[in-house]
Amino acid sequence: MDPNHDFLHLLSATAQGDRLAFADLYRQTAGKLYAISLQMLRRRDLAEEAVQEAFVRIWHNAGDYQQDKGTVLTWMISIVRYRALDMLRATKSRRETGDEGLEEALDEQSPEQELYEQRDRVRIDRCMDRLDEGQRQAIEMAYFRGLTHMEVCDQMDTPLGTIKTWIRRGLERLKRCLES
Amino acid sequence: MNYLTEERQNALSSEYVLGSLHGPARVRFQRLLMQHNSMRHTLWRWESRLNELGTALPNVQPAPEVWERIQARLGFTTVPPVTSTNVLSLPQRKPRGLQWLAGLSAAAAILMAVLLVNLQPVEPLLPGQIAVVQSEKAQALWLIELREDQLLVTATDKFKALDNQDYELWMVAADGRPPISLGLLPKQGKLSLPRSVLFDQVQVAALAVSLEPLGGSPTGQPTTVLYTAELVAM
Repeated sequence: MDPNHDFLHLLSATAQGDRLAFADLYRQTAGKLYAISLQMLRRRDLAEEAVQEAFVRIWHNAGDYQQDKGTVLTWMISIVRYRALDMLRATKSRRETGDEGLEEALDEQSPEQELYEQRDRVRIDRCMDRLDEGQRQAIEMAYFRGLTHMEVCDQMDTPLGTIKTWIRRGLERLKRCLES
Repeated sequence: MNYLTEERQNALSSEYVLGSLHGPARVRFQRLLMQHNSMRHTLWRWESRLNELGTALPNVQPAPEVWERIQARLGFTTVPPVTSTNVLSLPQRKPRGLQWLAGLSAAAAILMAVLLVNLQPVEPLLPGQIAVVQSEKAQALWLIELREDQLLVTATDKFKALDNQDYELWMVAADGRPPISLGLLPKQGKLSLPRSVLFDQVQVAALAVSLEPLGGSPTGQPTTVLYTAELVAM
């Protein structure tokens, strides 16, 4: 059965205030949302907080979902990713202003570090494969790890201008491929 | 008027979803989203495209406490009030100081409960209700009084506001409708907000406070829910 059909059913019941449907939706999707936020935030406590806040928003905003916004799962992923990106920005700005406490808990050795390298192949990967290697890597780093242009530039040891161009051109090519 | 080319809309939307649009460009984009329907649709298409990447990640189950905290935040797990029709029913949530009662025989416990219930002074029912919005550290941030003619909100000195953000108050109805904005909260001191007629028409599950760009929610729905609080009768 099409999982989106199932999720749609659960989300529309959630919009009506059905707590059991919401619990079922959580059970079926929390593992995905947690993996995504863990990959970005690298700390279990922060990733749990992002998932928690995402589901609070999903409960309140379930009635706002419409199919123009993508599948139920991609819509839910948007919510958790925006939350995780906000948390990353807050963490980074605090780090820049000299709060060192946040660095300590970052666990660079955590086993989930490069989860995205073991991911399943999905439709979009057919188009990701057609990108130049640099474009694909830069987009994956920004998407899965929430890195800024500057951070991708450091990671790939490539000038900032090149990274910006790779990402911009890569996204344009991705769009053309997905629409073809 | 739509002054942005389709190409520009796509460039901005895709980098917004990716997270690589930041600083003033990101703020300008958020403003454009409020103004242009076509921009919102372009954004949705990119959310739908790029987030397919995330669907392929292997699942990692979060700790069970996450679900417990979600339920608590949404007010699902609060203990229902004890009905007053049967004085023999023991309160479901024992006051902390009475825990020693558990060591007594059941008969003695029930007798004590009856005495305690009967000793409670009968209070006249006041028309007002209050809610206290607390931080994660259980510090009181706002006191909200629902009066007959207004919502009176007081920010406590524990509340440290961000300069470039506003805090918006929402009513969360029990019937599952989208949250209803009640107005922006004061960053300090007292503020009187209009009392929504919905307080008399729907059952209120909770009040919620969201973090918003200056001026309040751009979408009419909470952007980031920070806290929820329950209204209780005084």
